[in-house]
Amino acid sequence: MQSSITNYLPILLMFLAASGLASILILLPRLLARRRPTEAKLRPYECGVEPVGSARERQSVKFYLVAMIFLLFDIEAVFLIPWAVAFPHVLKDPAYTPLKYVFYGEMMVFMVVLLVGLVYIYRKGVIEWNR
Amino acid sequence: MNNIGINYHSILPEAITAGVALLIMLVDAFMRRIERRIAGAIALAGLTGAAAALYTLRNQDGVTSFNSMIIVDDFRLIFAGIFLIATFLTVLISLRWIEDEQLPTGEYFALLMFATTGMLLMASANDLVMIFLGLEITSISTYVLCGFRRSDTRSNESAVKYFILGSFSTAFLLYGIAFIYGATYHAAATPVATTNLQLIKERVAAGHLFSPEMLFAGAAMMLVGFGFKVASAPFHIWSPDVYEGAPTPVTAFLSTGSKAAAFASFARVFILTFTATSLTGALSDLHSVATNTLAVMAALTMTIGNLVAITQTNIKRMLAYSSIAHAGYVMVGMAAADWKAVAFYLLSYVVINLGAFGVIEVIARRGDKQTEIADYSGIGFRSLGLSATLSLFLLSLAGIPLTAGFMGKLLVFKSAWASGFHALVVIAVINSAISWYYYLKVVVVMFFSEPQAEFKAPRVARSLIAALLLAIIGTLYLGVLPGRVLRALDQATDQLKAARK
Repeated sequence: MQSSITNYLPILLMFLAASGLASILILLPRLLARRRPTEAKLRPYECGVEPVGSARERQSVKFYLVAMIFLLFDIEAVFLIPWAVAFPHVLKDPAYTPLKYVFYGEMMVFMVVLLVGLVYIYRKGVIEWNR
Repeated sequence: MNNIGINYHSILPEAITAGVALLIMLVDAFMRRIERRIAGAIALAGLTGAAAALYTLRNQDGVTSFNSMIIVDDFRLIFAGIFLIATFLTVLISLRWIEDEQLPTGEYFALLMFATTGMLLMASANDLVMIFLGLEITSISTYVLCGFRRSDTRSNESAVKYFILGSFSTAFLLYGIAFIYGATYHAAATPVATTNLQLIKERVAAGHLFSPEMLFAGAAMMLVGFGFKVASAPFHIWSPDVYEGAPTPVTAFLSTGSKAAAFASFARVFILTFTATSLTGALSDLHSVATNTLAVMAALTMTIGNLVAITQTNIKRMLAYSSIAHAGYVMVGMAAADWKAVAFYLLSYVVINLGAFGVIEVIARRGDKQTEIADYSGIGFRSLGLSATLSLFLLSLAGIPLTAGFMGKLLVFKSAWASGFHALVVIAVINSAISWYYYLKVVVVMFFSEPQAEFKAPRVARSLIAALLLAIIGTLYLGVLPGRVLRALDQATDQLKAARK
């Protein structure tokens, strides 16, 4: 594999696209929207969290649970996408043809493990917000 | 068979324990509260199944699989056996305890089985990355287990301390692995750099290294990481607080199972990879540097552990320092590069210490209330069975002849003496003598002092009696008739011998 600076071009493009999108999202409302500021709108966090005050506020544990569950399934996606991209190549490559069920099955094992986790948190009532 | 070496048989024990953990989670999710008791029985069945799976692997010396991530050799089988014994006894001593404390049964046993999976992987790993993975699986499960009594601040403190310091030390280990990966860079070889233990060994022996200094730095970092996990001085500070605050069966598991697992990886990297190679290679320094560092750490660990244990007034804290001291004795075996003595010592320590913690758990009662040594005063004749059992285990920890503790110490000291660590053996023997004081103190308090408070002999559950009986039998068997186990260890092969065949 040739290691040259051109290999990093996609990362530069990604960076440009990301910063471009962010700039557009900030600039567009300024140009188009009418400004009617209220106190609530001018707060740093518009979700309702007080920016100044005691740091010893108690947060509901549900937020942490949801964050953890999100991480769990986020990781699932992180593993699934490369697998899904690589799998057609496995099917085409004669060297790996005898292993195609292994490639398929191992991912299914991974999914089943995660499914057990999902069933577990469902039965334990983590998803029911009002409990 | 194929070029990536998929071999499900070689990971069958790990697969069984992980599968059983998932099954316990499902049982916990779908069954009514009263039926969840079977979680413990499922765990015991799973451990037995994993042991059977290990037995079927016994004739596959040196077979590597999964891109040589996993190795099957006697080293792995023996250590895996020790871990399974440790978890089995832990399950037995927790069966009744978990109901009395009204803690979630399913989660507890599922986490215990996941921790066991990680420990088994640590013994079977043939690659630094795999060792790291196993270590993390074990650590994360045990972090949660430490904080299992959620409403108790001591338990929470224990979990948080263990988590923060544990993550910190894991970072050291990982950094060491990265250094070693860099140090093994050799442009002419494929792969150019490696974390595979056999390839590392070959490159060190052939002198095909990017930079020997980098290898030394990596080895030093890994020494810090493993030193933390086995609680050896000067990286032992976390263990008394964690051991004192964690629920008693979890403390028992931490001080035996997860410590033994850390020693397994420690021995695999430092005895079988580093010290073994450099004897013949250009880097003969690494051998002497590594073993001398280990010897100094061993001396420090033993001395600090034993001296501080003397002043303790809480029995769990005392056993935590005693556990540090025992890690020191094991490190003597590590310095002598004799993994067989290390394995025997750990086996005997697992059996004795789990037994001792079993008794402490009963006497502590619900909520770990009575764990001060003063609480033990005068209970000797009111609860003769428990006191006599605890005395046996404490004396065995001190190293009384005819018990497992004595044989373990004898083997370790003998091999250290034979490797020329005379001063270290003298320090170890003096330390052993010091330890008699605080072990005997508990025995004396139990039998020869006036009771301070009203003491009613606790009811002992049948599962706990079974665990204690197994531990007593194990202690005496390894002490009186160690012949069979020693012969099995003598004939055992490791990755070195297996590779030479």
